[in-house]
Amino acid sequence: MVNIIKEQKGNVIAVRLVGSIEESVEFEQLIGPVSGELHVNCKEVPRINSVGVKAWIKYFAGLQQKGAKLRFQECSTAIVEQINLISNFTCGGAVDSIYVPFSCTGCKGEFIGLFKTEDLKKLNMNIPELKCGKCGGKAVFDDIPEEYFGFLSR
Amino acid sequence: MARSLILISSLPEDAQFAAQAAAVAGLALQSVKSPRDAVEIVAAQEGCVLLVDASTQAQYLDFERAVQEKLGLFSSRLNANHIHYISSGDIYEVPYLIQSPLFGNFVHRNFHSEPEVGTHYGRVIAATLGDRSFGTDKLVKPGTKIQTIQLKMSTQKQEAVEAVRNYLVALKFQSRMATVIANAVDEILMNAIFDAPVDSMGRHLFESTSRATNSNLDGQRAVELHVAYDGAYVTVTAADLFGSLDKNKLLSAISKIYTDQEYRVRSAVAGAGIGLASVFHSGGSFFFSSESRSKTEVTVFFKRCDNYREFKSQFRFLSMQFYF
Repeated sequence: MVNIIKEQKGNVIAVRLVGSIEESVEFEQLIGPVSGELHVNCKEVPRINSVGVKAWIKYFAGLQQKGAKLRFQECSTAIVEQINLISNFTCGGAVDSIYVPFSCTGCKGEFIGLFKTEDLKKLNMNIPELKCGKCGGKAVFDDIPEEYFGFLSR
Repeated sequence: MARSLILISSLPEDAQFAAQAAAVAGLALQSVKSPRDAVEIVAAQEGCVLLVDASTQAQYLDFERAVQEKLGLFSSRLNANHIHYISSGDIYEVPYLIQSPLFGNFVHRNFHSEPEVGTHYGRVIAATLGDRSFGTDKLVKPGTKIQTIQLKMSTQKQEAVEAVRNYLVALKFQSRMATVIANAVDEILMNAIFDAPVDSMGRHLFESTSRATNSNLDGQRAVELHVAYDGAYVTVTAADLFGSLDKNKLLSAISKIYTDQEYRVRSAVAGAGIGLASVFHSGGSFFFSSESRSKTEVTVFFKRCDNYREFKSQFRFLSMQFYF
């Protein structure tokens, strides 16, 4: 079940989604109406099921139609997968930053790194290797580049 | 005399795959050059299983034409449950198979030279050879322990999903893989709980009922989950007692992608219609077994991999066994 932490920052409403998004989600009740700009932090969304996707698109598309400006930030890997799978998942909003998955070639550990989408575009899918925080080994991007970064070229 | 697995393909990787699958399924492998040769054997022998290279529409149409001319498309000599199409293209790239009256099973030719994929698929073929293909035990390595969860209330779905996720993490699955598999379990359970129930006329009882609604799952609404891990593959089955699966609707839903076209929200129905497609896209394979008005089992398979990249591009198939 998802919870929401909501903040007003000037003309901007910033919300942080925490938890899995599934059939019980009620975005209308949790976030409510938005007329200006809405920043949605998705760092702590580990999972979203199909009914959650439907609720997401219904709510955010409704906001977008009413003139709200949407910005999605720190998108988790689960959210990035949906952005790539469903062309209108972001409902006309901008994706500012995403988490990129890495796995260690030594200890097989998994971790994520935060990247701004403008920086990812400059990297042209050539994601630098990182040092594993657990064993110091080489950690490499762990997904299919053409799929994980597919949304950048839309 | 052993039943035959007839391979219609000139590709060496298909021959290797077929040899492994035939050995596990206890079938005698016969490779033929053309669909006509295959259909001649089918006409002469009982219970043949076909493995057909259908990477292009022309290859499929050659096969369909041969069947039509020798047997007829709806001949009792050839059961769609026993036809397995192999394609280099993904499921959404083969609309001619999706629309085929002879569709039964789809194998994506992403073998990656892994020796066990033919063995794995051989168990799937073996499960289809009997009178009925029900039972997770038929789909896993012999001796694999199968855990059963009986859901009493629809809201227990999330607990079951989390339990499977935690089990996989304990088995050292990457947490991202465990989450993807948990999502697959979520989707097949949701379908068993809300999409499977129909009335005596076949009308869906909960088409517009919110998926958050709590209801008792007793009597005919009983839903069971079976979970097995054989050291390579995790296998999860959701079982219901309605036998209401519609082959055409199912194929249409699984083969639809929204990477280029918009997903349109349908408010009249509570389901989303995108769950199974996303499971297949994320690396899962499916085995559907449904006996009309009796029961349905939907099984999903995922291989445990060292990294997510391999996990996502793993060998996949879609098998459909319908009994009327």
